[in-house]
Amino acid sequence: MKEELISSEHIVMIVTAIIVGTLARILTIKQDYRQYPSYPNGLLIHLITGFIAAALGAVAIPALMTRNFVAVTFLALAIQQFRDVRKAERESLKDLENTEYAFRGDAYIDGIAKTFESRNYFALIVSFVTALTMQLVNSKLWVDIVLGVSIGFVALFVLKRFSKGKTIGDIAEVKQGIVEVKDSELFVDGIYVSNLLGTENAQKLFQKEGMAVVISPNEQHFRITLDNYGQRQAALFEATRAIGVKRYHFTRKEYEEGRIVITLIPIIKDIDRFIEAVKKTPLLESVKKSHAVMETNLVGKE
Amino acid sequence: MGREASERPNYEILAIITLASNRVLGGNQLSILAKNEDEQKTITQDIAKAMKADVVKMKNGDYLVLRV
Repeated sequence: MKEELISSEHIVMIVTAIIVGTLARILTIKQDYRQYPSYPNGLLIHLITGFIAAALGAVAIPALMTRNFVAVTFLALAIQQFRDVRKAERESLKDLENTEYAFRGDAYIDGIAKTFESRNYFALIVSFVTALTMQLVNSKLWVDIVLGVSIGFVALFVLKRFSKGKTIGDIAEVKQGIVEVKDSELFVDGIYVSNLLGTENAQKLFQKEGMAVVISPNEQHFRITLDNYGQRQAALFEATRAIGVKRYHFTRKEYEEGRIVITLIPIIKDIDRFIEAVKKTPLLESVKKSHAVMETNLVGKE
Repeated sequence: MGREASERPNYEILAIITLASNRVLGGNQLSILAKNEDEQKTITQDIAKAMKADVVKMKNGDYLVLRV
């Protein structure tokens, strides 16, 4: 009977790895102005899946050490599980599309869903690395724990660096734009935006309360990223989420200098918040172009 | 309501309010002939409010009520 029980060293290893892995998930859940995942239930769901991921990573080493090689195949099952997390996230966000001020857009939803899937791998890898370190060091118990936890956090730091994305503010300048209504046409900084202001009420409302920002790319090649419909939609979504929409919201691109206009009639008239929301909009993974990769000179190519 | 739709056009014309009888034509939309500009504006606003739609004033003076 006693032989079937797991040793106390392994219990310490598993518990330490689970704690570090779960902490990795907790630390990677961003509770910022985007308010996503929603609090408290959305947050709880992700913490629990993070805990499960950490547990899976933690038991892999003890399973191998006890010659239970078949048990390691559950890692494949875990990957399937995390793909389901991505799927569930995507479905949930798509269901919400019609209830928001503006569409998130498919590209943004895809990016968010992928991020949530990858964060579960963080928990799994960090707990696995912690357990592996503790097994390899195999010294005094407290030395094992300290080294395991340290290497686990180093792994988390490396993973975070690897998956860190950029924001619109990193590649472009975001400034307030001047709203101008000429008859039923709307202009921002002289850029034509829309002619949907057909009634006098709409014209007066936009002239009085309309706000706009203009995004100017720092480099010409960033235009490809900023002009993307999904990217613009994401920026518009974050802006409407931050300051609300009373009526109308538009985005428009201008081709001469590659400027992008986002304009709307907000509920809260706070231009700083508007600019900040657009600046902090993440650059979508599906849209991002790596300039370095584009310039790669492949072997045999001039 | 004002959603950017240049890539995915899904505009629906709900009504056209005109002062010229030769522009009252068939189609899915409601075509209304107004007596004068004031009536044209009032009708346009009433329809737009009821349908929660947007209004475009065309250069020829006609009003389009459309939903994006």
